[in-house]
Amino acid sequence: MSRWQYFAKRLLLSIPVLLFGTSITFLVIRAGPLDPVSAILGPQGDPQAYNTIRRQLGLNQPLWQQYIDYMVNMFTFNLGQSWVLQPDTSVYSLVLGYAPRTIWLGFWSVLIAIFIGIPLGFYAGLNPNTFSDYFASFGGIVWRAMPNFWLAVILMSVLSQSEKFFFGFDWQTFLYSTNVTGPPPLPDPIWKLFTNPDQFVRALKKIAPAALVLGSASMGNEMRIGRTAVLETINSNFIETAKAKGVPPRSLVWKHIFRNALIPLVPIITGEAFILIGGSVLVETVFDISGIGFLFFQAVKNGDMPLTGSLMFIFIVLVVLINIVQDLLYTIIDPRVGYEGGA
Amino acid sequence: MPDVSSRPHREDVSIRQRIAENPGPALGWLAGALLLFALEAGAVVHFVTGLFGSPVELPTLLSRELIPNNGYQTPSGAWQETFLGLPAAYAWALRVVLVYAYSFVWMYWLWRGYLVFRENYRYADWTPRDDMIDRLRGHRWGQFGAIIVFAFVVMALFAPALGPTTVERTISNPYSHSIEYYNDQGQLENITVGSANLDSRSQGTPQQNVGPMQYDQFGRFHPFGTLPSGKDMFTFMASGARISLFIGLSAIIVSGLIAAAFALLTAYYKGLVDLGVVIVGDSIMSLPRLLFVILLTVVLSGTWIAEIYSGAVILALIFAGTGWPFLWRSVRGPAMQVSEQEWIDAAKSFGQKPRVTMRKHMAPYILGYLLVYASMSLGGIVIAVAGLSFLGLGINPPTPEWGRAVDIGQSYVTTASWHISFIPGVMIVLVVTAFNALGDGIRDAIDPQSETGEGEGNEAAAATGGGA
Repeated sequence: MSRWQYFAKRLLLSIPVLLFGTSITFLVIRAGPLDPVSAILGPQGDPQAYNTIRRQLGLNQPLWQQYIDYMVNMFTFNLGQSWVLQPDTSVYSLVLGYAPRTIWLGFWSVLIAIFIGIPLGFYAGLNPNTFSDYFASFGGIVWRAMPNFWLAVILMSVLSQSEKFFFGFDWQTFLYSTNVTGPPPLPDPIWKLFTNPDQFVRALKKIAPAALVLGSASMGNEMRIGRTAVLETINSNFIETAKAKGVPPRSLVWKHIFRNALIPLVPIITGEAFILIGGSVLVETVFDISGIGFLFFQAVKNGDMPLTGSLMFIFIVLVVLINIVQDLLYTIIDPRVGYEGGA
Repeated sequence: MPDVSSRPHREDVSIRQRIAENPGPALGWLAGALLLFALEAGAVVHFVTGLFGSPVELPTLLSRELIPNNGYQTPSGAWQETFLGLPAAYAWALRVVLVYAYSFVWMYWLWRGYLVFRENYRYADWTPRDDMIDRLRGHRWGQFGAIIVFAFVVMALFAPALGPTTVERTISNPYSHSIEYYNDQGQLENITVGSANLDSRSQGTPQQNVGPMQYDQFGRFHPFGTLPSGKDMFTFMASGARISLFIGLSAIIVSGLIAAAFALLTAYYKGLVDLGVVIVGDSIMSLPRLLFVILLTVVLSGTWIAEIYSGAVILALIFAGTGWPFLWRSVRGPAMQVSEQEWIDAAKSFGQKPRVTMRKHMAPYILGYLLVYASMSLGGIVIAVAGLSFLGLGINPPTPEWGRAVDIGQSYVTTASWHISFIPGVMIVLVVTAFNALGDGIRDAIDPQSETGEGEGNEAAAATGGGA
């Protein structure tokens, strides 16, 4: 099987996955014991209104009819409206309102993790079994095992009284005066972020603690895997050959070791996206960033079924897309793909 | 030396017959095990009868009745009603040490049991498993994990005996129980636990705080301090450990069984069966796990099954249902590998039934890998359950869960009552790291080449805080 055939197969496989994943969501939301009508009416709704709303929402139709409607709506990207959380607001406008903050958070958490985790891991791998290697490795192991929500709570509390812990360094007045919690101040037309450095730094400072927490697990992972990958590459035969050939150490490290060590890091970096989609709920809750994870949590808690279903569909599409991107990257970077079997 | 040729070959004799032939060592070991069990039989009877109604009380060695730590201090400083008149802290510590010593003896006895089996009843002088155990013995990192996991499991099993007080007395029903203490006037006074708790709250100020390893004014010892409501936190944590372990273990066992069954079936039959499971598994994995678990928890919260064990059973099922594709993915490779072996072909051509082939010739090979990934994902479940309770979902209050303690203590992190959020977090980190380390140890034991071969694949499987 050639590389591109392999990729095409993966692409084809994502269609049933998308269909099936959406069906599971429908099953949980509509066929489960959740009652959206009483969520709209509150506990003391009169039966007259109850039946009216039920009819309006199409809940009196048979389940298969609802299923077809739901699937058709989703796959034509007709995502509907919120019922309970912000009645009569379209899901699109809600997502457009909430998503930028999550994307800003996710962007920085990926970046911080990459720029701290990978260099640390490579450093540890190039200097194995030294004190700094042990320090970095052990730190990485503990760091990634920390639950995000706990780390967020601790970091938030420490930063809000940072002058007590960091010898007079006050985070809240550092550069710009801000609270530790709260949504980042993103300017209204979002591109102003890149034309106005003041806005940029302000928004960055606000999101940094949350991004650090959200990226913590991947940072530890990237460090560990970077270390293993470098160690493996160093000990492989082609490095020996290159050394014997007289390749200068600098080009040996940059050209031969790093490039090969990056391959196993690809799934970790793309895998971060899953953490950002799933894990942002807790971080956003603690740091009071009203992002998309927070929106989902509120929608679920308030029984806002259509919003929940539509958000879940967006997440599924995102995950499937990320998987395709990952396969594409693999296909490009690693010529061995498709030869080792596995679908 | 008996005449071997006159008897059936040793391998053909079942283990029961082998023991019947030479019952000495087995009986000796069994007697020791029974003796150890008898010491704690009361606790087992108590637990089992408690499931069907009011529990039966029997004398038990390691119980709070035999080594009580709840007493009061007379104005002269002497302790009343505690074990041997020891200070409450020492009485409690003694009980903890005894519980761990008892568990350790059990561990040793089980190990002895394995040795007895190996020396007297196993037909082979050597099996690959011996080498695995030898490798595990030299694996310091895995041993570190095993020790912490052992401590955690004992904490969960003996939760009622380990706490300075019980969940019933201090958390769920404090106003139906009372304690005695000497008040400021030097008189013995009776007070309900609930009222006493009001005066032992940890509210962040130095005046209103009972920190770790401190007594409150009623002579009650709090190894981990108290919660903002004045309830003892060690009792809370021990009971929380029990529920975390229950959810983690049952979820892993159920999803492990599903994963193993699917891995064997897909590796044996391949083709359409494989494709079907790939699609179902990938679909479940395409749902963001934590968000989907949140959704399921809320949707199923009103059902009857959500009432069992404060919602722990439903959580375990949810984690099993959403977690098996991850486990299956990780054992699919080894299962495919073993299905290509010649001995599978041989078994097929002998006309062996598929079920027997899978069970006898394929399952043992993937079991080790399953164990590795199970150990690593267990930590992830512990984190996720804590994350759910942090959000106010999952385990119904007042049943203790670690994540809820983090939530309760949020506003006290930088105050005198820092312990409320800090201790549960550190314990989660320890337990998760330990399960990861144990997984590493088992992996290196079953597959010594993996360290140089495909280490990175396993690295990524380790549980991280990113899940919650």
